[in-house]
Amino acid sequence: MESKTRKMTSLAIASAFAASVAAVGATPAVAADDMVKCYGIAKKGENDCKAGPGTSCSGSSTVDYQGNAWKLVKKGTCTQVSTPFGPGSLTCLATRPTGQNYQCG
Amino acid sequence: MSRIENTDGSNPIPARAGVGLKPEHYAEILDTRPAIGWFEVHAENYMGAGGAPHHFLTAIREHYPLSVHGVGLSIGADAPLDTDHLNSLKQVCDRYEPGLVSEHLAWSTHDGVYLNDLLPVPYNAETLGRVCEHIDQVQEVLRRRMLLENPSTYIRFDGSEMSELDFLAAIVGRTGCGLLLDVNNVQVSATNHAYDAVAYIDAFPHQHVGEIHLGGHADDEGDDGEPLLIDDHGSAVADIVWNLYAHTISRCGPVPTLIEWDNDVPAWAVLMDEAARADIVLSETSVQHVAAE
Amino acid sequence: MSRLSDTQTGFAHAVFNADAAVPEGIVSHLRRQPRKRFGVYRNNVYVSLISVLEGRFPVVSRLLGEDFFKATARVFVEHHPPTSPVLMRYGGGFSEFLETFEPVADLPWLADVARLEWAWNLAYHAADKDPVAPEALAAIEPASAGSLVFELHPAVQLVRSAFPVVSIWSEHSKDGEPEHIDAGAGGEDGLIVRPGIAVEVRHLPRGGAAFISALAGGKTLGEAAEVALDEEASFDLQANLAGLIASGAIAGLRPA
Repeated sequence: MESKTRKMTSLAIASAFAASVAAVGATPAVAADDMVKCYGIAKKGENDCKAGPGTSCSGSSTVDYQGNAWKLVKKGTCTQVSTPFGPGSLTCLATRPTGQNYQCG
Repeated sequence: MSRIENTDGSNPIPARAGVGLKPEHYAEILDTRPAIGWFEVHAENYMGAGGAPHHFLTAIREHYPLSVHGVGLSIGADAPLDTDHLNSLKQVCDRYEPGLVSEHLAWSTHDGVYLNDLLPVPYNAETLGRVCEHIDQVQEVLRRRMLLENPSTYIRFDGSEMSELDFLAAIVGRTGCGLLLDVNNVQVSATNHAYDAVAYIDAFPHQHVGEIHLGGHADDEGDDGEPLLIDDHGSAVADIVWNLYAHTISRCGPVPTLIEWDNDVPAWAVLMDEAARADIVLSETSVQHVAAE
Repeated sequence: MSRLSDTQTGFAHAVFNADAAVPEGIVSHLRRQPRKRFGVYRNNVYVSLISVLEGRFPVVSRLLGEDFFKATARVFVEHHPPTSPVLMRYGGGFSEFLETFEPVADLPWLADVARLEWAWNLAYHAADKDPVAPEALAAIEPASAGSLVFELHPAVQLVRSAFPVVSIWSEHSKDGEPEHIDAGAGGEDGLIVRPGIAVEVRHLPRGGAAFISALAGGKTLGEAAEVALDEEASFDLQANLAGLIASGAIAGLRPA
């Protein structure tokens, strides 16, 4: 393996360490870019011994889902996010462009 | 037979009303310390490593007796018990030292899949053997007596050869476990299978009842338009169940009684009202019971 | 095979296959194989598990709308039912499922939102541990800092995305109408922490995720800084380290 030049000297690390410890000591709990707190501290427990709402509801009938034959329409807030492949659609069943790996952009 | 010692002694559940503990009420309970006899939790909700659930339960446990009610052990499954799950239940018990530990006469795991419902079993010799093996194992691992809850059911099995009552009595006889009598379940099952709920209570093995559950049910209809009750724990206890409960207490004497409300959980004050109603039945009926002796 | 085992196999199969007949041997007092009554069990299993997923993925649910989410969750439950009775562990594969679920292919960022919500859940239930005390940090000789190895808090989770996943999540976690977000605006990395019992989601500066994941992998502070600089030339060690300390993400430290 090719040895490479270190990008930070130990002196730079030492001073960054000292400065960050001092900074946190002085101004607690605000850092990084921005912070989003979630206030739902006590989430509902999920194991229960209750029954669902009876004999007939969405649970006992299948939605017609066979490949592309999905009949439902998205009615959420996803239209507030415009996707790289065009505007978020409420109805269409657009397939993302083939071969495109969205994970790696 | 009942070689398992009952270790409830140091943390007894009083013969009063208790309430199923819900995260929605953690803060209010800690702030106001309501005069409630005890709380019950579903064991599985406290099988995480740490965080908020344990934080709140630990704080509440300091002030109230606690009962631990398992919902996922699948005692009625043909397959062996999940020993990891049983060990997790033991950890919850070791940590919170509950006065009572209970589970269901039902199955919910099959072939490695958890179905998240309390599914019914046929009442016959084969199931009895399997259920008793599993209860023995639970009591050995927990080193204590457990209570087994009578189920609410919507169907029956052709393969049943015994009544539910005979089946429960046989389990108690073989394993030394106690029973958790869910009075709402009795009403639900009696309606669904067209038998007499009062007669069921009368024939129940009273001396083995360590706890009672009261919950709400919903009205529905079966395949032939016949009444079908759904055990949804989503409303106040029905009047017919309150009456059956008073009858039960007149037979069993005062027994710790839980208000269960799991769906559409109401304000804490509503649960306190339900608990107060149970407490009145417990205190008034216990006088009659003592006087009757 | 025992009769009980057969009974339970047939029951479970019929629960998960809505079109399957009610198994023989199941009766009501009025008829054999009562379909509506058996439907109560089928309904209970699906409704309860869909509701678990709704609670676990509230932002995905909001993004899709209730009906669409429930229908999506139903397909997930059918193909990936829980394997543990402890439902706080259910939903780990939902994000991967969304990646290949055709009806949401027009929302390529959705799987990463689910990944963030799952990480939130892991953090919520993670083991308790006190973050390292400020005095312990202050006592470190700065000259030796480069060779420190950090123990991260058990709740620490990283979510890296080619989309603005933290912005999408936070905008749709709040009440009220969400602001418009351009999913093509560039990727974001999230740090999920839980210094006490409240879970926090932080938007990491560039290079931060590489830095933290190197630390989590046992690299020394000096090595982790190099890894981060390799990925992002503008990486600011001081800001990132201060952020990590302030968010309670460091549970312990020792010389390498």
